[in-house]
This record gives sequence, C-alpha cells and structure tokens, in this order.
Amino acid sequence: MRIRANRKISSYAVIAAGMITLALPLTLSSTNTEIYVTVGLYTIVVAGLSLLMGFAGQVSLGQAAFYGIGSYTAAIMALHGWSPLAALIAAPITTAFLAFLIGIPLLRLKGHALAFGTLAVQLIFLAVIPETASLTGGSIGLSAIPSLRIGPLAISSGRDYAYLVWIVVLVTLIIARNIVHSRPGRGLRAMAASVSGASATGVEVERYKLKDFTLSAAFAGIAGGIYAFFIGYVSPDAFPVVLSIEFVIMVVVGGMGTVTGALVGAALITVISQVLTTLGTSPSLPPQLPTVLSLGVYAVILVAILRLLPSGLVGAFSSLWKKAQAASPVSQFKADENVEAVSSVDKEEPNEFTLVDEV
Amino acid sequence: MKSTESTVDSANRLNSHDSVLATIDLVVRYGVSVALHGVSIHVGKGEMVALIGPNGAGKSTLLNTLSGIIRPASGRIVCNGKLAHVPEGRQIFPDLTVDDNICLGAYRGGSRDPAPMYELFPQLQRLQNRRAGGLSGGEQQMVAICRALMANPDVIAVDELSQGLAPLVVSDIARHLVELNKQNGTAVLLVEQNAQLALNITSRAYVIENGHIGLEGRSSDLLRNPAVRAAYLGGVR
Amino acid sequence: MTAFVEYLLTGVSRGLVFSLLAMGFVLIYRVTRVVNFAQGAFAIFGGFITYSLLKAGIPHGVSELLAILAAGLIGLIFGIIAIGGDIPLLASLVITIGLSIFSEAIGMLIWGTTPITYSGLAGHDFVIFGAFIQRQYLIVVIASLVVFVAVLYGFGRTYFGKAMSACASNPYAARLSGINVKRMGLIAFTLGGALGGLAGVLITPLSPLTYNADISLGITGFAAAIVGGLTSPGLAVLGGLVFGIAEQFVAGYWSPSNETAVALALLIVLLLWQAKRVPAGGLE
Ligand SMILES: Nc1ncnc2c1ncn2[C@@H]1O[C@H](COP(=O)(O)OP(=O)(O)OP(=O)(O)O)[C@@H](O)[C@H]1O
Ligand SMILES: [Mg+2]
Repeated sequence: MRIRANRKISSYAVIAAGMITLALPLTLSSTNTEIYVTVGLYTIVVAGLSLLMGFAGQVSLGQAAFYGIGSYTAAIMALHGWSPLAALIAAPITTAFLAFLIGIPLLRLKGHALAFGTLAVQLIFLAVIPETASLTGGSIGLSAIPSLRIGPLAISSGRDYAYLVWIVVLVTLIIARNIVHSRPGRGLRAMAASVSGASATGVEVERYKLKDFTLSAAFAGIAGGIYAFFIGYVSPDAFPVVLSIEFVIMVVVGGMGTVTGALVGAALITVISQVLTTLGTSPSLPPQLPTVLSLGVYAVILVAILRLLPSGLVGAFSSLWKKAQAASPVSQFKADENVEAVSSVDKEEPNEFTLVDEV
Repeated sequence: MKSTESTVDSANRLNSHDSVLATIDLVVRYGVSVALHGVSIHVGKGEMVALIGPNGAGKSTLLNTLSGIIRPASGRIVCNGKLAHVPEGRQIFPDLTVDDNICLGAYRGGSRDPAPMYELFPQLQRLQNRRAGGLSGGEQQMVAICRALMANPDVIAVDELSQGLAPLVVSDIARHLVELNKQNGTAVLLVEQNAQLALNITSRAYVIENGHIGLEGRSSDLLRNPAVRAAYLGGVR
Repeated sequence: MTAFVEYLLTGVSRGLVFSLLAMGFVLIYRVTRVVNFAQGAFAIFGGFITYSLLKAGIPHGVSELLAILAAGLIGLIFGIIAIGGDIPLLASLVITIGLSIFSEAIGMLIWGTTPITYSGLAGHDFVIFGAFIQRQYLIVVIASLVVFVAVLYGFGRTYFGKAMSACASNPYAARLSGINVKRMGLIAFTLGGALGGLAGVLITPLSPLTYNADISLGITGFAAAIVGGLTSPGLAVLGGLVFGIAEQFVAGYWSPSNETAVALALLIVLLLWQAKRVPAGGLE
C-alpha cells in the first residue's frame, strides 16, 4: 500500500521533474548551468551513497575520492589518446573495482570500519596525487582534457552536459529504485534502520552490502568522469574530505535509502553551499568566514535532521502527506517503522564482538 | 514434585495484595499492532506459576514489560518485591567471564559474592574464569539463572527455560528452581514451550493466546483439560 | 645511533598520545558501539583551551587540568547529542561526523587558522645516548602511563568497569540487570573526551596543531584502536606506540611527506588483517 502511494507521488514527481529538467537548461545562465550540472553529478553520487547508508547501514567517507578517481581515470585516459567515450566508461569500472577490492575485507568488520577505511582511502588519494605528478599532474592537476564525444555527437556546451548528466541521473535513479523495491532491499533497509545496528550477518547480507558499496563507487566514478570532461581540468583541490562529508549530509537531508531523497539532498545542499559562499565572501569579512559558516551550517543541518527528522526531508514529507490522507491502511506502515525501533531494544543480538580477556 | 499447600487459596484470590507480582489490564503495543490486550495475571508470594502459550502469543512481551524494558500502553503493574528476569535465549554477557556475569546480577545492590551460586550449581565452579560466550547452552542457562538470583529476588521470571537444552539438563535446572522455591520461598513465573514440564512443577498456570489470557487455573487441572492437552501436550483424549 | 634514539623516543611519546586517543575510541565503542568520529576534536579542544588559559595568565598545571575537564564536558555534550534518546547506531555515527566538523568551525572561529602551540613545562632538555630530549617527552610518558594503568584497572578490575563492559557486550541483558545503559554511554563519552583532551594537552607543545588537525589525529587514534579490534584498551596502547614509532622512522629515515601516507597504508593493512580474523559471513 505504501509502495502504491509512493508510486503515485513519484510518478507525478517524475513527470514534473522531467519537464523541468528538459526546460531548464534552455533558460539558464552559464554560472547557473554549471550549478545545474553539479547538482546532477552530485545526485548521481548521492543516490549510490544513499543506497549504501540506507541498505547496508554503512557510511562511506570516501565518496569524494571515488568521484576523484573517476575524474582522474577519465582525464588520464583521454589525455593518453583513448577515445573520450572509452575513458568515460572506464571511470566507473576502475572505481567500482577499487571499491570492490577494499570492500571485501572492510565490510566484514563489525561496527563502522568502512567509514574510517574509506576516509583513509580518501586521505591516501589526496596524499598520493601530489607524489605522482608525472601521471596525475601533482597538485597542479591535469588540464586541456578534450571534450566528450559519443560517436558522431560532440558534447561541448554547458547545455549539452546538462542533458547528458540528467540522462545519467535518470539511469542511476532507475537502477537505485529497482534495488529499493527489490525484496532483499527492503529487508536490508529494516536491518540498517535498527537502533542497535545488530545485524544478521549472513554471507548473503555481506554480498548485498558489497554490491551496494561497489555500486555506490561506480555511481561516484561515472559522475567524476563526466565532471572531468565538463570542467576540462582536474586537480586534487576539487575532491577534499569535506566533499565526502557533504555527500553524507546530502544523503541525510534527503533521507537514507530513498531515491527522490538523493535529488532533493543534492540540490538543497548545493544551493545552500552556493549561498553560503556568496554570503561569506566579501572583502570586509574575515577570509575564513566562508569555511566557518559552511562547516557550522553543515554540522547543524546534519545533526538537526538526524535528531528531528530521522527519515530525511523526503521521508518526513511523505509521512506528512500520508497523515493528511488519514487512510488507515497506509498508516499501518508508519507503525511498522516504529516496530523496528522497539524490536532491536528487546531482541538485541547477544553479541557482535569480542572483548579481549586480558581486560 | 508439587507444592499443594497454598495452591487452592491463591487460585481464588485474584489481585490480592498478597501477590508479589500482578498486572492489571496490561496493554502493550508494538507500533499499532497490539501484543497484549489487557492481560491480568498475578503471582502469589512464594508461588510457582506457569505461563504457557504458542509462539508469538506475547509471553516474552509480558516478561519484558514486567521488567520495564517495554512500556505498556495502559494498565498497571504491581510489584511487591524484587523481580529478576531470566530472558529468552539466556542473554548472558558473552565477553565477560562467568564470575563477572554472575556478579553483575547484583548491580542493583546486595552481596556481590558469587560463592552461594557455585554451591547451587557446582558445575559452574570450575568454569568461573571462562568467557561465558564459550559455554554450552545449559551452562549459559545456569549462568543466566545465577545472575538473576544474585539480585536476591522475591520473584524470578524465567523465559523458556528449556529452549535448546537436552531433556536431562532441563530437568536438572528445573529441579533447582523448585528447590529454590521451597527453600527460599522465591516465587517463580515460568514461561515454557514444554507445557508438560511447566504444569508439572508449578501450582498454577495461565494459558496465553494472541495476547489474551485464554485460560487460567491450577496446573493439575490444566494438565487434565482436554483443550490444553490437545494444544500443548500433543495428545487428544 | 643518536638519530635512532631520538626517533625512537620521539616516536614513543607521540605514540603514547595516539594511544590516549585510541583508548578514547575503545572506551566509547565498548560501551556504546559508536565509533566516535569526533575523537580527534577533543584533542584540539584540549590543546587550544590550554593555550588560551596559559595566555590568560593561568599557571601551568591548572590550565592543563581545566582544559582536560573542559574536554570531558565537551565529550558529555557530544555524547548527549549523539546517543541521547532512541537513535539508530548509524545515525549516532553520522552525528559524530557532524560534531567533528562543527568543532572545526568553532576552532577556526575562536583560534583562527594559524597553528597553535605553547611551551610545555619549562625545563632543560636532557641527554640520553647523545640525543637531546625535551622535558615534555618525559611528561608525556609519565602522564600517559598513569592514565593507562588507571583505565586498565578501572575497566578490567572494578565492578563499575565490568558493568560498563556489560553494556557493550549485551545491552539488553545489561538493562535487565539494572544497568542504565544510556548513562554508562554518556560516562564513556565524558571519559573519552577527557582522554582526548589529555592527548591534545600533551601533544600541542610538541607539534603545533591547526583547527583541522582533528582528522589526522582521529584517524591515527582509530588505527591504533583497530589493533585491538576497537575493544581492547591494552592493545590500543600498543597500537598507538607502533604508529608513533613508525611515523617517526618514516619521517626521519625516508621523508616527512610520506608520514601520513604510510600511517594510512598501515591502517588499511590493519583493517585487512582484522577482517581476516573474522570468519566469512559471521561475527562469532
Ligand atoms: N520487538 C518487537 N517488535 C515488534 N513486534 C514484536 C516484537 N516482539 C514481539 N513482537 C510481536 O509481538 C507478538 C508477541 O511476541 P512475543 O515475543 O511476546 O511472543 P512469545 O509468546 O514470547 O513467543 P515465543 O514463544 O516464540 O517466544 C508477536 O506477534 C511478535 O511478532
Ligand atoms: Mg518468547
């Protein structure tokens, strides 16, 4: 019932969004086109991360690194004579492969080792780039990346990229949606939402987590690849740790494990970050103000959403909408979500880890 | 095996102030699904009471509510004394030693000396420095019972005593419970799938189905009750 | 030889600081199962508050103590925000990420972006095997050893410590035994804050810190904690030492710019090694 209600909302939303998406690039200025493309790219990254957080119950703090690795893969290949399309396709593949490799061991660990493991990947990425200048251009970066062409189609203007990005957004959202509505998907989501984090860790579950993680990296990789062609220039500055955290915030704002949430979160945070930068950057103000402002605002948003609207804006909106409908069969599902919270309190898994005897 | 002295009296004295533990119209919800629909039970001082019922009837829910883990939607719990709860699935502290597991039972106060428990279950003595997680199911059940007893309770609620244990171990532990009841006057509320066992060692029993108390009475009567026999004792006669 | 001794001793004292951070991780994780991302921030607060107090004319000793208490209080507040009420574990973790960047914002706002340091306890350097060693190193060693003994004893031998371990081992059973699991979690956060604060107090005189050093301090502390599977304070101390010494030798004999990369690579290796110890598909 809930799914049907959601489908109704989302099918309207999809039509409306589709029309706006098609119309917008025609009207936007070049700065705004850039923001528009950025929102699209971030939506792709966030859709993947949202699946990971909502389903596998794991946080990755390396999505900016995956985004960066996708960018560098595409840039390096394109600069070394590969066709731009091949370079673009290689971007998600390389990233996914890397994530797969580190995901196998990390996802086996209890707790949230993945968060720190991926953060380490991010920091290593940032440390390695300056040391490998011959390949990556070091801290200066790589420029003069040729523009993208797909067969006879040259993609060069901002508007072209806007359309390309949003086609990819559509594809990723459809993939994400299918996972959300798949049977194991729903089970996993319940698991991730439990208070204790106590999880049945069968081989099956482990495989799903790994799949989600790999897919999330692939999403970040393709977005990064497009970014490289769109901007025509990549440098490590474009992939700071804070960007990884921003991705997490976008997921939380939209709502973990929701498809529309990815879009809402990415759009909202991108716009907020633009506003904050404009607000904070003025000759009369201290130079660190934009950073203080954005870090502070991000933190407040993150904590406030998790404490007050744990299912994110989209989740909060749709439960409001359901309440307004006041149809009883629908509300039953709301209740089911509460049950989750109770069940883990009293049906705690006895234990998940070993305390060492020495203590 | 039966203690018959107080049986008749307490069976007739619902909600009496002589009970160590009583619930009055207890309603418990998980979200909107109702797990207990106005359950009233009572356990007299020093009484052994069984609670039997099929899977999902609400037995564990009732015990968790009694020990304050779940808050009831309405109704009252009256507890004239200390309640200790041996939860379903034993729920020991797997990373701590047997000693520590038992001692932590006295967290609310009282003596922290585990020695009396090793007298009660001598087979635990030699395991006292082992990680509890590495014990056998029966040994873990003993640890769980000891932990509960360390609180020096007036009433002990045991959820699924026999779960996953060999019949011999079960009867051994059950014997300990009966002894404890006789010697210390500790009241027992026993939740059991093995209705035969439960009805044999208790004096009074409740049958709970779908969150309702379907039947209550003396255990010996319930043992003869055809409906109970059919549903819980595997016999139709 | 001289260089070797210097690297070793510097490594040991820096390593002990990492150990303190690692212990904070372990303490909080053991009781709440939350991997506290903001652990490094406690160190920043500890160091920066000491700096400000010293600048305000408050004597050594008092300043440090107040800063550690303040860090403990910050730990408590972070704990309330991160684990108060019924909240999923994942949300708690993400909240600590928020608290960490919030701390950076505060740090930058109050103390600016320049590295902060102060002179530790004044006194002459002393000489071991021809190597000049700052007095501060000695203080680091003594202070951290005292704390380690106290924590190991408190956790492993006292009733209260066992009750804290019980919360992590089986929260449901802990509640049944009458242990207030939430309160224990907040106590763990407070202690974790104080431990982090002490780490900051000790390291700031040795190497100036910037407002955003919490990430690198935090991740090194985490890596050290991982040595003991996040649950063993004793192994966490060992882990800290390994990282501290490795870092100094890499910086000294190879190149300082490889220091972080090596530490991180070591972390990844450790994580892989830990994962190998977990049988496929199972946790116990
Ligand atoms: N934490 C929970 N969240 C949601 N529903 C629950 C929870 N615990 C129990 N229930 C539901 O409440 C009802 C009663 O469950 P309970 O565990 O009390 O049964 P039980 O009598 O102990 O069963 P069993 O004999 O299998 O242990 C069941 O329908 C169960 O699905
Ligand atoms: Mg049960």
